[in-house]
Amino acid sequence: MAVVRTQKEIRQRAPWWFVGLLVLQLGLMAYDARDGVTKQRMIRVWAQALISPFQRAASSAGTAGSSALGYIKDMRNAAAENQQLKARVEQMEAELSQLRASRDENERLKALLDFKEKIEYQSVAARVIARDPSAWFDAVTINRGSSDGIELNMPVVTPGGIVGRVVTLSPWTAQVMLITDERAAAGAVVGQLGQSNALGSVKGLGENGLLQMHHVPGLEEVNAGDYVITTGQDGIYPPGLSVGEVVEVKKGTATVPHTIYIKPGARLNALSEVAVLLYHPPQAAAPDQVLPNVEKKKL
Amino acid sequence: MRQLKIALVLAVAVILQSTLRVVWPPFVYLDLPLIVVVYFALQRDALQALLIGAIAGLATDALSSGLLGAGSFSKTLVAYLVVSLVTRVMIDNPLARIPVLAGASLLDDTVYVLLHRMLGQPTNFPFVERASFKLIGTTVVGTVILYLLDALFSERARQRRQLAFRRRIARRGIVRLGRRK
Repeated sequence: MAVVRTQKEIRQRAPWWFVGLLVLQLGLMAYDARDGVTKQRMIRVWAQALISPFQRAASSAGTAGSSALGYIKDMRNAAAENQQLKARVEQMEAELSQLRASRDENERLKALLDFKEKIEYQSVAARVIARDPSAWFDAVTINRGSSDGIELNMPVVTPGGIVGRVVTLSPWTAQVMLITDERAAAGAVVGQLGQSNALGSVKGLGENGLLQMHHVPGLEEVNAGDYVITTGQDGIYPPGLSVGEVVEVKKGTATVPHTIYIKPGARLNALSEVAVLLYHPPQAAAPDQVLPNVEKKKL
Repeated sequence: MRQLKIALVLAVAVILQSTLRVVWPPFVYLDLPLIVVVYFALQRDALQALLIGAIAGLATDALSSGLLGAGSFSKTLVAYLVVSLVTRVMIDNPLARIPVLAGASLLDDTVYVLLHRMLGQPTNFPFVERASFKLIGTTVVGTVILYLLDALFSERARQRRQLAFRRRIARRGIVRLGRRK
């Protein structure tokens, strides 16, 4: 069906047709025409000339975008790599610290083992699992109890020296009162047992981590740096265990005993592994309760 | 459920109190059970606070080499005094809790050490130095822990905060009206 257009419509559309036809013809001419020198079709030349600014802009934008993307990608990669390296360093540091801790623990356990072999008493190795929850006392809790053969008042030691005695017992744990506690004490001697007469009793001072030794005759020669060992007279600690080192002596006289301050040999602030000596002090012979007269009557 | 949560928090506080000190000795200056007691005392439930104070103290005493009952006594006393205080004064502001924690720490230590001295039991450390460090440690860390406990037992705390906020707004409104006149 033919479309019927009015004259007015045709007049209105004519310029558009005209321009369109011109463009088409120009296009045809350009397609047909060739450059005199290069023999290229002119349409290519024009097309390239027309498109080149956009191409350049697009190319620049693309390059910039690509380099930006590349930069971002690199940054992301670098960030990821950085994270990985950081994680690896952290892991290695953790491993290193674990290895160091293991080495330290190994050394401590070796020392404890050597100590166990050296001493003549049976012992149970234990680990400190807790300390006194009160800020005013300093007892420690170990991971061995009555099921391991531990009994009340058994001495607890480290290779450095005595630690304290067992004061509370459960089947799997035991609480140890440290020798630095004001309520703790031990019989001790300055110097070699059997050679020195500087006998006395060592008592905890509590506050500064030192021990105080009383009752040492003022005429005995005692100096800072001397070693103090247990005598075994207290009925808790066996004789010959190290207590610590004399750090200060307040000299006594013939009638006034020395006051001696001792630094404990065991590192009581950093206790980790200890040994509980399964030691039963020798029982004192029971005094004869039977009166001579009664014996006589019986006879 | 709430009771179970309270029991768990108490158990964790007491266990951490005795084990953290092995890891790092300065943790001795942090009294976790006391912080828990103060928190529940701040909730204004007197009976609950007293029970928590007594149980926390007894649990601590059981693991300690101090007198059994001394910690329980001091913590129950602290709980009672804090409850008495919060029923008279509004202490829901986090800043206002700081002096309460500090006072509770000092009172707890004073009563604990006094009880031991009265009963002839020497404590191992000088009072002023240790109580001061403990006051600082417990107050600083306790302020943060109170926030965490708030988050854990949030419902009532949230309601109270809302109430306090409304009161404050109402009060400000009255003041502004007064100024306009």
